[in-house]
Amino acid sequence: MKTLTQAEGRETSLTSRLPLPATFRAALADGAAMALAVVLLAALFWATGDAALQRVASYAAIMLTAVCGLQIFSGNSGIVSFGHSGFVGLGAYACGILTMPAALQGATLRNLPGILAGHELTLGGALLVIVLFAVLVGALSGGPLLRLSGSGASIATLAILIITYTLLVATRDITRGSQPFYGVPRNVGLWTSAAAAAFALVAARLFRDSPVGLSARAAADDDRGAAAIGVSRRGAWYLAWILSVVLAFVAGALMAQFLGAFSPKDFYFHLSFTMLAMLILGGMTSSLGALAGVVATTILIEIVRRFESGAVLFGVELPSLFGLTDAVLALSMILVIWRRPLGLMDGRELDLLRRFGRGATPPAELPAIARQAPGGEIAAEGVGKRYAGVVAVDGVSLSFAMDMITGIIGPNGAGKTTFLNIISGDVEPSSGTVRIGRSLRGHSAVRFARAGIARTFQNLRIFGRMTVFENVLVAARQVEPDLARAERAAWRELALMGLDEVADRPAATIAYGLRRRLEIARALALGPRFLLLDEPAAGMNAVETADLVQRLAEVRTRRGIGIVLIEHDMRLVMNLCERIVVIDHGQVIADGPPAEVRRNPDVVAAYLGSRSLKAQQDNNQEDSPTEDTSQ
Amino acid sequence: MTFSRTPGLAAAGLAALVCASGALAEDITIGVATAQTGGLAPFDQPALLGFRMAIEEINAKGGLGGSYPAELIVKDTRSDTAQTVTVGQELIDAGAQVMITPCDADPSIAIGQMTQPLSIPAFTFCGTAPILPLAVGDAMFGSYPGDNLQAAAVADLAIAEGKKTVYLLTSPDSTYTANLPEYFGIVFEAKGGSVVGRGSYTMGQPDFSAEVTKIKALPEPPDLIMTAAYEPDFPAFLQQLRAAGVETPIYGADALNTPTIQGLGKLADGIVFTAAGYAAPGSKLEAFNRAFEDYAGHAPESTYEVNGYEIAMIIDEAVRQAGSTDPEAIRAAIAGLSDFPSVTGSITYAGTTGMPVRAIALMRYADGVAEYVDTITPDAADVPAP
Repeated sequence: MKTLTQAEGRETSLTSRLPLPATFRAALADGAAMALAVVLLAALFWATGDAALQRVASYAAIMLTAVCGLQIFSGNSGIVSFGHSGFVGLGAYACGILTMPAALQGATLRNLPGILAGHELTLGGALLVIVLFAVLVGALSGGPLLRLSGSGASIATLAILIITYTLLVATRDITRGSQPFYGVPRNVGLWTSAAAAAFALVAARLFRDSPVGLSARAAADDDRGAAAIGVSRRGAWYLAWILSVVLAFVAGALMAQFLGAFSPKDFYFHLSFTMLAMLILGGMTSSLGALAGVVATTILIEIVRRFESGAVLFGVELPSLFGLTDAVLALSMILVIWRRPLGLMDGRELDLLRRFGRGATPPAELPAIARQAPGGEIAAEGVGKRYAGVVAVDGVSLSFAMDMITGIIGPNGAGKTTFLNIISGDVEPSSGTVRIGRSLRGHSAVRFARAGIARTFQNLRIFGRMTVFENVLVAARQVEPDLARAERAAWRELALMGLDEVADRPAATIAYGLRRRLEIARALALGPRFLLLDEPAAGMNAVETADLVQRLAEVRTRRGIGIVLIEHDMRLVMNLCERIVVIDHGQVIADGPPAEVRRNPDVVAAYLGSRSLKAQQDNNQEDSPTEDTSQ
Repeated sequence: MTFSRTPGLAAAGLAALVCASGALAEDITIGVATAQTGGLAPFDQPALLGFRMAIEEINAKGGLGGSYPAELIVKDTRSDTAQTVTVGQELIDAGAQVMITPCDADPSIAIGQMTQPLSIPAFTFCGTAPILPLAVGDAMFGSYPGDNLQAAAVADLAIAEGKKTVYLLTSPDSTYTANLPEYFGIVFEAKGGSVVGRGSYTMGQPDFSAEVTKIKALPEPPDLIMTAAYEPDFPAFLQQLRAAGVETPIYGADALNTPTIQGLGKLADGIVFTAAGYAAPGSKLEAFNRAFEDYAGHAPESTYEVNGYEIAMIIDEAVRQAGSTDPEAIRAAIAGLSDFPSVTGSITYAGTTGMPVRAIALMRYADGVAEYVDTITPDAADVPAP
């Protein structure tokens, strides 16, 4: 405890010099750089004095605002949304009604409900109302939408688009139906739209690395893995959805004042596909991708369309070739998807600070490990699980104490993993109860993880597209609300698992053995009371396994937490565990210290035919266990 | 990486822009911002072809008004409103004195908002929404018969035929299907007829049994059914109506002037529809159709070709009357045109809000053939306000 206080004292002096967490600083630097680029581009276009070019730039900036909104949801949740063009439309109509001159409104919208009529707000005032409206729409639509995931949710966004379109067409007294809505003051030019785009870029960049953004991306990468570290998918995606809807509404409001006249069909499939194409072209998973997609598409269109109506190039007169723009656009999109499946920017952010060697580095002094206070246990009583007649776990009563390593062994298909899934909250038992020393509402992986039960999976469930550091940070963030402290805790876990050298790499790209250790580091970042490991050494070579054994033993001695592991590697189990539980056909057939279990006739019978235990017994009679551990 | 490449590409774009040609002092520059690709292309392309043909003929005779050669700058709006705005601005910057806009209200209004303050007259290719000039101002013109004008002509015919009662079938899904029958109702009632019922359908619905039952249940069968429904809704409605034994004649508008409806044969007997003109032997329209075939290598596919041709003739006449290349003078001359003899009949802008009063050809199917009934030029005062 004393070391911890010292570390905290040091942290205070650190924070006074660098007031912001490194993740936030990096995001802010990127966001500011992109915003600056947008403003500089706007200044460049302003300097040309060419009204048509300025319109091109203004429209591109409005599209960028909308695409950033789309990126915040689709990029962080992995769900492609077709619905955002509908929200752009709602924003446009809202802005049109709120800012229209009252006299014109009286003439063109005779049956407008009184509450909507005659406001004649300025653009700023209208935007305030529109943002509130957007939050409401986002909150209402996000609820049912996010009960779904994956392609189901995508189809639901398609339904949202059709619903908004139908609403706009049907509410004729408010929107003039399918007829053009006109008379909106046209006050949006280059600077307003560039300011909105700059703001949207900063918002998208900051959100990506915010606690909610990290959680959203984790859930998108691996839903079960995220639940195991206490990340609630719906919570994180819900906020992303609302924020993205707000940006789409803002883009719509600007679009209304940019175009002056529009009808519902302007906000239907065509706009939806254009926004998606821009985002996918640039790279859906980063705000830089949104920027690159909009810029690249705009430049391409602007260049190609100038040659469409027949131009003179190097003295050669080209024939007019209408349709060239769409053809080139389609071809370049195919090319990008073929050569760069993740988009032009490969899903990367600018990462300016890292590029200039000022990226996140491990703190000089890592926070000390807090040893868990003893007490509390996992107690399973008469737990059973059936899958349509197949009994996977059959009335198992076991309790696990802290500060002890317990191994669960048994033949393949004995029900070990199902049992582990039950006591980690992932699977609800068909019968019996699990108590984990805390009162819980409901049996879910998220709740168990937050109550101090961390786990790893037989098949790795790391967040492949996030960096190694982010993988651990997102877990640390679940128990430590302060981002700066969570970062230091994450660095500590990475260092303890020997992963600090690869912290910047995408998790999917590191070696297999390291990925196994990463999953353990991520689980430990939750500061759990119990760590449940499902075949932690599967696929590892002898050297890697020995290293793992040493690290796990250390975890137990330094933290005093309870470790429960399933493993087929008998050498590991016999050497590491103080207690071994043998499960066969869903039932406990032996439970005790390794030496005792090894001699149990039932265990030998269960493994009859499988030579492994027999060989292991012979082997262990020759070698001493301590020697094995040190290898 | 994109950033390092961007300035080079932008410079190339700027260079290409600079290459765009400027007009000579006594030329008249006509900016054509129309859809050559996308959803509006099927309407804008034939219209542009007719327009080009007329401009070439006019230039061969010395130019607009006989003395000002016209220079066309054609740009594709890709059927996209935002792209239309950009293209419109470019054409204004390139010195357009007259503007041609796409065959749809939104993009036309979007350009009109830019040309109106400069008093540059703008014409929509075949946009028929009568509110179009109202939404923009006195420098926006249509040339194609507006929905309200067509409805007025059909109503005049129905009254002349002694019809007394009408059933209106509308669909709120498009301006055309929602408003045209209602315009008919206004004129019909003003001239002594009465609307005895109204029905509504959803565009694309395959089953019209509810609407058919409603019509069949009327205490007195109406003299006619007025609808602006078109394919595929119209054939479905017609078949189900006739199968139910209702023989009430159906009146519609220009959307029924298609090979599909004609192909219905006996079933389509008695259906009245409109056309922008009728190529009677020896008529100007017949001569145009032959000239167009010589020019383009194929016969006109629709009435949009002649419509584009007529817009050029209207501009030619306005420039002649204005005697100048000043956009405001040309605009005033167009707005004052009265009984201008065009290809399909006379065209009048004087006394309108920008959608012309012009002759409408009324046709009726009989034995699978479209027969000419009459040409009616409604009175400007009878045309319902949009």
